[in-house]
Amino acid sequence: MIEIHNLTKHFDKVKAVDDVSVSIREKTVFGLIGTNGAGKSTVLRMLSGVLKPDEGTVAVDNMPVYDNVEAKKKLFFIADEPYFFANANAGTMEHYYSGIFEDFNKLEFYQYLDKFDLDKNRKIGTFSKGMKKQLALLLGICAHTKYILCDETFDGLDPVMRQGIKSIFAKEMEERGLTPIIASHNLRELEDICDHVGLLHKGGVLLSKDLEDMKCNIQKVQCVFCSVDDELKALNGIEVLKKEQRGSLCTITVRSTREEVEARFATIDTIFYEVLPLSLEEIFISETEVVGYDIKKLILG
Amino acid sequence: MTSKNSFWDSCRENHKRRIWVWIVAVLSQLLAYGGITMIYLSRIKGYYADGNYKAPAAFKEALYQAAKDSIGFSDNLYTLILVLAAIIAMQGFSYLYDRRKVDMYHSVPVSKDRRFVVVYVNGLFLYLIANLLGLASGMVIAVSQGAVNAEVLAAAGLAFVWNLAFFLVFYHLMILAVMLTGNRFVTICLFLAFAIYEFMAYSSINNLKQTFFETYSGYFIHQEAKLSPLVDYTANIWQLKYAKDAAAAAKLAMPLAAKWFGIALVVLLLAWFAYKKRASEAAGKAVAYRFLEPFLKVAAAVPAAYLVGQFVYDTSHQNELLLVLGMLLGGLIVCSVMEVVFDFDIRSIFKHLISSGVALAAIMVIFCIFKWDLFGYDSYIPAQNKVESIAISTDGYYDSYWDENGQYLDNPDYQKETMFLTDTEPVLTLARHAKPLDREGLSNNRCVEILYRLTSGRQAARRIWVDYDDPETAALLNRIFSTEAFQKGMFQGMEDETSYDRVETINYSNGAAMTIVPKEEAKGLRDAWVKDMEQFDFSLVRNNRPCGVIRMSYGADMSYMQRSYYVYESFVNTIDYLKKQEAYYPVELNAADIDLIKVTCYHNEFSVNPDMLYRDDPGYAFYREAVAAEAEYVDTYVDYSTEETFYEEEQIAQILPHIYPNYIDAPWSSYGEDADDSNNYYLEVVFKKDSSYPYERGSYYFTYCFRNGEVPEFVKEATAYTGESAE
Repeated sequence: MIEIHNLTKHFDKVKAVDDVSVSIREKTVFGLIGTNGAGKSTVLRMLSGVLKPDEGTVAVDNMPVYDNVEAKKKLFFIADEPYFFANANAGTMEHYYSGIFEDFNKLEFYQYLDKFDLDKNRKIGTFSKGMKKQLALLLGICAHTKYILCDETFDGLDPVMRQGIKSIFAKEMEERGLTPIIASHNLRELEDICDHVGLLHKGGVLLSKDLEDMKCNIQKVQCVFCSVDDELKALNGIEVLKKEQRGSLCTITVRSTREEVEARFATIDTIFYEVLPLSLEEIFISETEVVGYDIKKLILG
Repeated sequence: MTSKNSFWDSCRENHKRRIWVWIVAVLSQLLAYGGITMIYLSRIKGYYADGNYKAPAAFKEALYQAAKDSIGFSDNLYTLILVLAAIIAMQGFSYLYDRRKVDMYHSVPVSKDRRFVVVYVNGLFLYLIANLLGLASGMVIAVSQGAVNAEVLAAAGLAFVWNLAFFLVFYHLMILAVMLTGNRFVTICLFLAFAIYEFMAYSSINNLKQTFFETYSGYFIHQEAKLSPLVDYTANIWQLKYAKDAAAAAKLAMPLAAKWFGIALVVLLLAWFAYKKRASEAAGKAVAYRFLEPFLKVAAAVPAAYLVGQFVYDTSHQNELLLVLGMLLGGLIVCSVMEVVFDFDIRSIFKHLISSGVALAAIMVIFCIFKWDLFGYDSYIPAQNKVESIAISTDGYYDSYWDENGQYLDNPDYQKETMFLTDTEPVLTLARHAKPLDREGLSNNRCVEILYRLTSGRQAARRIWVDYDDPETAALLNRIFSTEAFQKGMFQGMEDETSYDRVETINYSNGAAMTIVPKEEAKGLRDAWVKDMEQFDFSLVRNNRPCGVIRMSYGADMSYMQRSYYVYESFVNTIDYLKKQEAYYPVELNAADIDLIKVTCYHNEFSVNPDMLYRDDPGYAFYREAVAAEAEYVDTYVDYSTEETFYEEEQIAQILPHIYPNYIDAPWSSYGEDADDSNNYYLEVVFKKDSSYPYERGSYYFTYCFRNGEVPEFVKEATAYTGESAE
């Protein structure tokens, strides 16, 4: 288990991470979601022992990670721009990592290279961005560490490759309890892979929840009320995160379980109502808007 | 059996990342040793083929020296070693500049300590292998040419240790520079600053003292970098190259090497500390530790400001206002540039004005200290009870000094080592009696260098200016010159009593004649001279010229060495001794031996010193007007010289008592100073070819001058200027 307590990190006068506390359970896929500059990479770099926190602690299986070889043996960090030696090929990198990670599985690595159609003799410098990320992921998987930290690693992977990697993750989680921690700003990328998400915003954690719990606790309802009184009655005592009205059609995002919402709307006189599934992106936007972060404003200027 | 992640595995893996450095290091060392050895030996063989070495032994000796020059202490190596140390260190730790590399290296399960040690040991190993390969290649070539003996081997061994210590200092300095910075450009700047800062600081301070202090002296104490291996290396390499033997070289080189190892160790500890404390996020920044930025700024701005100021001062005919403006401007520019470099942003040019203000204030404080002599440098004369002894050197005498191994010694070094005036009162009084510095050079004041050895163990050196013709000054100098301590520190012949057995030849010269004294008489002759030195004082040498000089030449390993003993007419013991050896000839010549005397008179009284034209002296008003009248071009040099040749024996006889040979120096003598007859007249004395006079150097033609105020009237008339020069 990785436990992060009150983690804070400054870069000169900029507070990149502000009092972050998160627990990451084993054998789950943890997604670290955040806007640009939210501090995802900084958290991952502290988690991997690259950066020393200004305040707070990071413990990997109860061991502090900074400059601790034993803790780092349990981690493999794939940076947003992974580094490969000059003029190296996949074999060179395998040789380097297999010298460092005692459980590195060379056979598996070369099998994966074949599967992903990566030439082990080709210079990595000639690889595409996506191929480099694939190679970094394969090196990380074959290092057989307990935790693999991926910083925007799935960006640039085509859907087929992404699916392939996800399959390997699933297999490794099943076989040896791999715990992937994936940071991304691309919500769709994480939606179908993460079990638990931590939402970072301006250096702090907005929420850290199981994805299913999150999806269960936020509902989107489309309905046409018969009257204003019905509307007031329906929304009374329920936390409304967002409400949009187009003509008589209301789209309301509320914090509640599906059962509660359905039970409440069943007693109200409506012309029409339907509880719709929320995408992770919609949950993200709703949660950030609650704290005054207008994602649309940011995107649309 | 090593584990999968053993130290040596890590080293091997690290070497794979350094292949180009290996190639550069090995190739450069092969060329520096093997290539240079080949060139040097080939050159010697070429000289031999051309017949430049008469004896085979000399040829062999030249081969050995050439081999020593290339694989022993070589002046070709230090730049290469310095650059190599910088490249190896920077390449090894350059991953710290790159965030991507830092992310990889710092996330893998390798401790920071292990990573440092692996990179450090590999760099050292890389240098050692390359250096030994180069040395071996040079050695093989030298052996194949028969140019190796025990001395060459010993020199090579010593030089290896010396070069290793030198390498380590700069290797560690570059590691420290990498640890303190975040990109290559700033690292190189900091490394260069580390390498030369102390030297630059001392140079700047010495120049400021020279500019503003009248009594500044670099004669006895030249303040120079004490912790700079670069200064040590360049200052000693020639002595090491030509050391008498390996023991002499070791005596000089090993203490320096030990000092360098010490410096290297301290720098390594600092680098290690900086490495341990360095944050990963420093990658790519100019300076890894933000708190260092103002210190670096001030440290760079002060000497840079001085350099700019000095340049402006020198090129503006020593305008002090421009000096101040130049310093401030130089300091400001450096502060601004450094801010831009720190942030990689031109908009930061006026950032952190407080530290810029501190830098400018420091510059002005330093200027004020020197300009107004705030610490009383010029007025410093120690209290008599605080002075243990004094060494002085007075303008007017120069000698060459040699040690027992035949090695040349600098005058200040010899005098510092041997002169201990414990009667300090006359020197301190002389210092109080000193004249102000005449920057225009209009006076005849002469300089006296003084070294105060204080009871506290400290030493202080000052230069004062005195008037030799002032009676009070002469009296003080008499007291100083008449002491045995002064004479021993000034004349090596007074001090040296042990090397008579190495004297090869003794001759006596009165300027024209040269006679030989048997070398067995060396001790007796020197003892007689020492006895005569009891009457030696300033008045004697100021008012008299030597009537001759005894020269003792040494053989074997002191073959370059010669000692001169000046003989004055009052030195009766010496003259008697020479007479007994039938070696004495009076300075006065016999007219019967002389064929002719040709006298040239330069008429210096008409000459104009162009430098004087622009002075405010009313005496030069006429010339200034002349210059103003012919504004475009004035030929200030006019030849007024006239000459006359005298053949008559009677005239020659009248001239001879008044002339003096140019060949004999006259230390401290008033003769030959400005406007003296000895400068105005030049005499060529030609002996008769059938004369029995024992001419020196096989010649019968000698140059003389007139003693001051003794030019015969008929000579003056014959050489009077009549409007036509000798040309």
